[in-house]
Amino acid sequence: MDWSQHYPAFATQTDSGPEQNGSATATAASKTVTADVTIADIGCGYGGLLFALAPKHPSTLLLGLEIRSSVTTFVHEKILALRSQPPTLSDHNYTNISVLRANTMKFLPNLFSAGQLHKIFLCFPDPHFKARKHKARIVSPTLCSEYAYVLAPGGKVYTITDVEDLHLWMVEHLSGHASFARVGLEEVEGDECVGVMRRETEEGKKVERNGGRKFVAVFRRLEDPPWP
Amino acid sequence: MVNLQKRVEGWPHVRGRYLSSSEERPASLQPFEGTHRAAEEVSKKRLVIKPPTAEREYLAAACGSRLSSICLTTGEVASTWTANGETGETSGKEKLADTGEDADGPPAKKQKTAASSATGAPNIIKLTSSSDGRHAVAVTDDKNVRVFEVHDDGKLVELTQRAMPKRPCAIQVLPDNSTILCGDKFGDVYGLPLLPELQPEAQERATIESPAMTPSNETKASFKPSATTQTVHTKRNLKSLESQMKQKNLTPKTKQPLAFEHKLLLGHVSMLTDLTYASCHVDGKERGYIITADRDEHIRLSRAPPQSHIIEGYCLGHTQFVSKILAIPSTNLLVSGGGDEWIGVWDWPSSTLRWKVESFGDSFRQAQGDSLAPPIAVSGIWLVPADLDGNVEGVVIVACEKMSVLAYCPVSELRDCAPGRQPRWSFERFDHTILEVVATGSMVVVSFDARAQDQQRLKAYELRITRDEQNVHSVTSRAAKHTQALLDKANGTTSETVSDKALDDMFYGIAKLCKRPRDEAAVEEAEEEAADAAD
Repeated sequence: MDWSQHYPAFATQTDSGPEQNGSATATAASKTVTADVTIADIGCGYGGLLFALAPKHPSTLLLGLEIRSSVTTFVHEKILALRSQPPTLSDHNYTNISVLRANTMKFLPNLFSAGQLHKIFLCFPDPHFKARKHKARIVSPTLCSEYAYVLAPGGKVYTITDVEDLHLWMVEHLSGHASFARVGLEEVEGDECVGVMRRETEEGKKVERNGGRKFVAVFRRLEDPPWP
Repeated sequence: MVNLQKRVEGWPHVRGRYLSSSEERPASLQPFEGTHRAAEEVSKKRLVIKPPTAEREYLAAACGSRLSSICLTTGEVASTWTANGETGETSGKEKLADTGEDADGPPAKKQKTAASSATGAPNIIKLTSSSDGRHAVAVTDDKNVRVFEVHDDGKLVELTQRAMPKRPCAIQVLPDNSTILCGDKFGDVYGLPLLPELQPEAQERATIESPAMTPSNETKASFKPSATTQTVHTKRNLKSLESQMKQKNLTPKTKQPLAFEHKLLLGHVSMLTDLTYASCHVDGKERGYIITADRDEHIRLSRAPPQSHIIEGYCLGHTQFVSKILAIPSTNLLVSGGGDEWIGVWDWPSSTLRWKVESFGDSFRQAQGDSLAPPIAVSGIWLVPADLDGNVEGVVIVACEKMSVLAYCPVSELRDCAPGRQPRWSFERFDHTILEVVATGSMVVVSFDARAQDQQRLKAYELRITRDEQNVHSVTSRAAKHTQALLDKANGTTSETVSDKALDDMFYGIAKLCKRPRDEAAVEEAEEEAADAAD
């Protein structure tokens, strides 16, 4: 994976080639940037969370992942537009965020190495109301293992949804997974990322307008137990 | 029969498919000791069995819906079992009049195979055995996992059948001889006790409450749609909510929980293609792993139960589906193959690719004499014994779908080959398409897709490794006459009337794992965009 294409400002060499590397299949081994992506927004949609978090974590690389290619293109163009703004208009140049079209349910481990991430956001995921489609939900017992794999111990998974059933589902499966523990209310409320997640995502705003409820839950990645 | 396996390093571990009967169960996990070999089956795959107390070894062979055990001492077909589907969950509508099938009779019946599977007996699609050889495990295409006990006389007795929620794609009995690993089409891997507590009679559906595999079982008294008008929906969501409201008195269909003990160990979001148990030693302790492969290029290393929720790594590098993996015991080597034109040799504990065996597909097509053959699809990777100057040495064998070529490489070559050099493989062409390979002692039994009436479908070979002056090895086979004579009885037993198409469907499904480029992405995008447009 050539991340220098995504984060040219962080590239190890300034003259990185123009070759395209959009495939999600490359290994995450090659070191082309000075920092690793440590925050991932899975299902980033129109990127509201990314744009809001970017100025708050200027030296951290953030990546949005989205399966709809048209939406991905929109976010990509918006990032490029923001980066090209004259510095006077904004004190942040958005060089630390990027977006990738990917099916993360299948290809998460192709994108990130073990323990690379510190935060994963799952904001307003598709509720997949039908029981038959529950397997397609972004949180499942078996997918939790993959989130645990790419998260460093101590890293967090943030979830927010306006569908109570889905909230309960995510809590049930993440809390029920041996690699995660739910973060207490106090710590959640004190986390600025939670506020951003509530207010800045497009879906969050939409729910606000509709007068809907928002359910937030945060989970911490635990250390792996020793081998038996 | 001399048991040569012990002399091959780690050899008996070959995805344990030997069965033996009787004899008490080993108290501790001693998976790599003992005298077993298994053979595999599948409609025409075979499996070898040897009861430790009995002097004889048996080869378990599946042919359509029939499972036979063939005595490797006398060549007699010791037992034949036929799936009749009568208790099957899905295909139980019509029973076929194949009642006369008896375990002891010479099995010269006409078999119903794939073509009739919709109405008749389910075909056996996977076969394995416990490493102690006492049990055989078969999967039939009605999604049932069936466990057989192997008696001293080679008789196979079905103990249980369990209907899995999705079609099993890969199955193995763990070296503890008490747990079945079962990977399915939806990418999930379940752990099942080899012998469940519940007896089949007790499994009447709908009466049993079983521990839920996920805590997601709704047993709500009344149905309440999970969406509300306040939740943000797409038009599609809204529509389904409306229709849900209309039928609000309808209790939703909830899946019956499986009526037997099972544990969801891990899962891929992709079709699982192969799985294997492997172990390595760290700090003098043995660590067990489950290695799984999927249709989306992944090879995953997870810890073995009870910590199977922990992923230890991925062997990434394939750019096509991975269809087969083989962990070579007593080494850290894993051989993988699928839709790529190369074979991967990995140091699996470190997830590093030691060699891409390049041009593997070309070599295959060249040996086949068909340079225009389509891209290869690896259909089997096995570890078998071969003779090297009177000693036994392991050889890795690779076969590709619809090809009559086998590729050989000694384990020593893979182990000792310098990283800058490519391991040398030998290729040998046979008369018919290769379906399955099984090691029986020092022999190798190969199952061929030989459809004409008088052709031998099972043949026995001995492999020999020779080295020339430059110390370059090559592997050759020669017919094992004595064993062949024994197999010929079994070869003569069938007279199936099945269309070629039905056989093709049954034997050759691996190349279909190849995704037509963009196909799936296009579907996904269309769906997503439809949802999006409704926003």
